[in-house]
Amino acid sequence: MSTTIDVLQFLIIVGIAPLIRGVISRVKARIQNRRGASIFRPYADLWKLFHKEDLIPSTASPFFRVCPMILFAATIAGAALVPVLHASSLLGNRGDIILLAYLFALGRFFLVLGSQDGGSAFGGMGAGREALVSTLAEAPLLFGLIAVAVTAHTTSIAGIVGWTAARHPLELSSVHAFAFAALVLVTIAETGRVPVDNPTTHLELTMIHEAMVLEYSGPSLALIEWASATKLSLMFALIISLFAPWGIVTGGSVLGIAIALAAYLPKIGLLVVFVAALESSMAKLRMYLVPEFLGIASALSVLAVVFTVFKR
Amino acid sequence: MDLFQLAAAKTLATSAVFLFITVLMIAAAKRTATCITLFAAQCAIIAAQIIALAFLHHSVEAFVVAAMVLLVKVIAIPSALVRITRRLKVSPTVSASTSPGLSLFIVAVLILLAFIVVQPYARAFALDSEMLAAATAIVLTGGFLMVSRRKALMQVIGLLVLENGIFLAALTTTFGMPLVIEMGIFFDLLMCVLLMGVFVFRIRETFEHVDVSRLRRLRG
Amino acid sequence: MILWLTLAFPLAAAIFLLAFRRPGTASTFALTLGAAQVLLLAACAWQIHSEGVLQQGQYLRADNLTLLFLANLTIIFAVVLVYSVGYLRHVPSGRFSSPRWFYALLFLFVFTMLAAYLSANLGVLWIAIEATTLASALLVGFYNTKGAIEAGWKYLIVCTVGIAFALFGTIALYLAAVRGGVPQAQALDWTALMAAAPGMGAAHDLLKLAFVFIAVGYGTKIGFVPMHSWLPDAHAEAPAPISAMLSAVLLNCAMYALLRFDAITSHAIGTTFSHTLLIAFGCLSLVVAVFLMIVQRDLKRLLAYSSIEHMGIVALGVGIGGPLGLFGALLHSFNHSLAKTLLFFTTGKVRDTFDTLRMDRIHGMARVLPYTSSVLIAGGVAIVGLPPFGLFVSEFSILMAAFGGSHYIIATFMLIAFSIGFGALLFHFQRMLGGEPQLPRSRVKLLPTEIVGMCTCGACLLFLGVHIPGVLISVLNSAVAVLQ
Repeated sequence: MSTTIDVLQFLIIVGIAPLIRGVISRVKARIQNRRGASIFRPYADLWKLFHKEDLIPSTASPFFRVCPMILFAATIAGAALVPVLHASSLLGNRGDIILLAYLFALGRFFLVLGSQDGGSAFGGMGAGREALVSTLAEAPLLFGLIAVAVTAHTTSIAGIVGWTAARHPLELSSVHAFAFAALVLVTIAETGRVPVDNPTTHLELTMIHEAMVLEYSGPSLALIEWASATKLSLMFALIISLFAPWGIVTGGSVLGIAIALAAYLPKIGLLVVFVAALESSMAKLRMYLVPEFLGIASALSVLAVVFTVFKR
Repeated sequence: MDLFQLAAAKTLATSAVFLFITVLMIAAAKRTATCITLFAAQCAIIAAQIIALAFLHHSVEAFVVAAMVLLVKVIAIPSALVRITRRLKVSPTVSASTSPGLSLFIVAVLILLAFIVVQPYARAFALDSEMLAAATAIVLTGGFLMVSRRKALMQVIGLLVLENGIFLAALTTTFGMPLVIEMGIFFDLLMCVLLMGVFVFRIRETFEHVDVSRLRRLRG
Repeated sequence: MILWLTLAFPLAAAIFLLAFRRPGTASTFALTLGAAQVLLLAACAWQIHSEGVLQQGQYLRADNLTLLFLANLTIIFAVVLVYSVGYLRHVPSGRFSSPRWFYALLFLFVFTMLAAYLSANLGVLWIAIEATTLASALLVGFYNTKGAIEAGWKYLIVCTVGIAFALFGTIALYLAAVRGGVPQAQALDWTALMAAAPGMGAAHDLLKLAFVFIAVGYGTKIGFVPMHSWLPDAHAEAPAPISAMLSAVLLNCAMYALLRFDAITSHAIGTTFSHTLLIAFGCLSLVVAVFLMIVQRDLKRLLAYSSIEHMGIVALGVGIGGPLGLFGALLHSFNHSLAKTLLFFTTGKVRDTFDTLRMDRIHGMARVLPYTSSVLIAGGVAIVGLPPFGLFVSEFSILMAAFGGSHYIIATFMLIAFSIGFGALLFHFQRMLGGEPQLPRSRVKLLPTEIVGMCTCGACLLFLGVHIPGVLISVLNSAVAVLQ
C-alpha cells in the first residue's frame, strides 16, 4: 500500500506540473485584466511537440539529443524523492537532500552542455548566465536544506517531513522562517521566474533559460519543457512538505489519501497565486542585480544555519 | 480564556522571529516609506508582546503601557514621519551608502554578533536568549542604519529603531519600569521626533538638500 | 512646596512669554521673570541649606549636592539673562528669529535642568537630561545659518544616541537593584538605591555593564573624548550667551547625573572599576583637548575644547576620589563655569567688532577693545589655572589628592596637560591681542549689561581664588559627604 501511495505521489508531482504552469499563466492574465489561455494549454503544447519532428542543427553532435533526456530523467528522479501525501517517497530510502541537490546539478549540467552543443550564440549566452545563476543559488539551496535537516536531526526528506508534521503548526521557529524565505528565493531563481528570468519573454538578450533551448524542437523540446515544469512543481512540493506538511496521511486508508490530497491542493494554490502575484508586480532584475538577489537568499540561509546553533 | 492563554504564549514564543524578519527587511529596504512601515510593524510586534505579557501576569499597568506603545510608537510617530516625508518632497529612496544585498549581509552578521554577545548574560540571568539577542540586534541595526544611510530622515529612523531595541531589552529583562517613567520616556521620544522633523525642514531650507554626508562644514 | 514652585516657575514663564505677544516687551518680561526665578532659587537654596535635605513627594528631592549645582545654575542664569538682553539688540541683521522665542527657550532649558537637579528618581533624571538636549537644540541652531543648523543637527543626533545608551545603563542598574531585593517601585529612587547598594554587590557584572553604559551615555553629554564630536560645533555656532549656558551649566548637569550614578556604583562594588573608567575618560579628554587646542582657528571652538579639557579634569578629580579629590572636582566645576562664562561673553564683543571669530584674522585687539581685552586676559589667566583666580585652588586640590593617593603618573599627565593648555591659549591670545590693529579704537561701546555680566563673573572668580567663603566650604563638604 505504501508503494502505491509513493507511485501516486510521483505521478502527481510529474503529472500536474504542466497544470501548475497553466494555472500560473491564467492567474497572471487575470491579475493583468486579460482572459488568458486555458489552464490545460501546456498539456496541449506538450502533445503538439511530441508529434512534431526533431530538427537538429548540422553542427551538433549526437550528444545534442541525449541531453534533454538526461535532464528529464534527473528531474523526475528528484520528483521521486519528495513526499506529498505521506512521509515517505519512491526513492526515499536511497537518497536525501544532498542527492536532490546533485540531481538538480546533473540535469542543469547536461542542459548547459546541450545548449552549447547547438552552436548558436544565444545558446552560449544563456548557458553562461544559467551557470552563474545556478552557482549562486547552490549555496542558499543547500544551506536552507541543511538548516532544516539539522533541526530535524536527519537528512532524509521523508524524515524531515515526519519530524515537522509531528510539531504544533503554530510553533514557528526562526530557523524555519529564514530557511523558508531562502528557499522561496531559490525556487524563483532555479525555475527561472520573474524577477530572475522572464519565462514569457521573446527578446533573446533578456533570456536565461529560454535562450538555452532556442535550438531544440519537437520531442526534445517537449522533454525540456516538461522537465522545467516538473522542477517548479517539485520545488513547490519540497517547500510544502518541509515547512507545512500538516494533513499528510499516516496510515494507508483511501480516506486518508483523499484528505492528504485535499490538504495539499490549497497549499499549492497559495504558492501558485503568490508566484503569479510576484510576477505581475515586479520587473525582471537586470543581470548584474541577480547576484545581489541571490546574495540576499544566501544571507538568509546562512542565518538559518547559524540559528540552529543558538536554538537548542 | 484558555485560547487566549495559548495565543499569548505563542505570541511570546514567536515574536522574536518576526522581529528578526523586520530587522532584515529594514536593512534591505529601498524607500523611506518602507522603513517607516517596518518600524511601525516592529513597534506593533512589541506592543503585542506587552499585551501577551500583561495577559499572562494579569497586570493592568502593562496594558496601559501597551496602549501607549500603540498610540505613540505605532500611530503617532510613524504618521508624523510620513507627514514630514510628504512635505519635504525629496526623492523617496533611502540614499544608502551600501547596496541592499550588502546591508542585509552586514545586518545578518550583526544578528550573529548579537547572539554571541548575549549568551553569557542570558545564561547568568536565566533569560530567554533569543529575545535578548533580538533586542541587541535591533540596537545594532539602528546604529548601522544611522551610519550607512545618508538621508537626514533615515538617521532619525535609525535612532528610533535603536531606542526600540533598548526598550525591548528593558521589557525582556525587567518586565517594564514604573508607569510614570515609561510615560515620560514616550513623551520624550515623541518630542524628539517632532524636533528632529523641524530640524530636517531647516536643513532642507538652508542647504537645499537632506543628505547628511554633505554636512561637512564644521570639522576639527 | 518650594521645590514644586521652583520647578514649575520656569515652565510657566516660558509659556507666558510665548503666549503674551506684545512686540518689544519680551526683554522686560524676561528680566522680570528672570529676577523672580533667581529669587525663588535663592529661597530654595536657603531652605536646603538650613534643612539639609528637602523631599517632596516621590520624585522631587534636594540635598547639599543639589544645593551646590543649584547655586551654580542661579548665578550663571542671572548673568546670562542680563547679558542676553543687551546681546540680542546687537545681533547682525538677517540672522535670526525673535527674542521672545529666545527667552522662552532659555526658560524651558532652565526648567529641564532644574528637573534634572531636583529629581529623586533616576528615571526622571534620564527624562530631564534627554529633555535638556531637546530644549537646547533649538537654541544651538538659533541663528539659522548653515553652520548653526549643522551644529544643531549633530548635537541632537549624537546626544540622543548617547542618552539612549544611558537609558540602557539605567535599566541595567534597575535590573541589578530588583535582583538585589529592592522592591520594584523603589528600584529607581536614588536614596533607596544608596541604602541598598552594599547588598547589590552580588550582581557586579551587571553593575559594571550598567556603569559603562552610563559613563558612555552621560559622558557624551559631558563631552568626554571620544564622544565629544558635537561639543565644539554646538558651542561655536550657538549665540554667545547660549554657549556660556551650555559650557557652564549643561556640562555640569550631565556631570551631576554621572556623580549620582558613581555614588551608587561605588557603594555597591567599590571604587576600583568606576574610578578607573572615570580616570581613563578624564585623561583621554584632557590630553586630546589640549592638543587640539593648539590647532584651533576659531575662538569659540578654542573655548569649547577648553571646556572639554576642564570636564576631563573634573572627571579626574572624581576618579582619583577621596574627600579631597571630590572636593576639588566639585569646586572646579563651579569655578570653571564662572571662568568660561566670562570668556564667552568677550567673544560676543569680539565678533561684533571684527565680524569674525577667526583668530588669525584678528589683530591688535588690545588697542581696539581695551576693556574687553583686559577681561579676555583675565579670563585666559583664570582658565589656565593660574592664581589669583579660583581655578588654581581647585586644580591644586585635585593635584594634591593625586599625589596623596600615589597617582603620580596621572598627576604628571595633568601637569603636562596644563602646560600645553597654557601654551596654546597664550599663543592664540597673544596673536589676537598684539600686532597692528586694522580698525580704529573702540568702535563699539561696551553695553552696561555686558559690563554687569563680566564684572560679576570676574569678581566671583577673584573672590574664590583668594578666599573661599565658609558657607561654600561647608556646602562643598556636605556635598562630598552625600556622595561618600
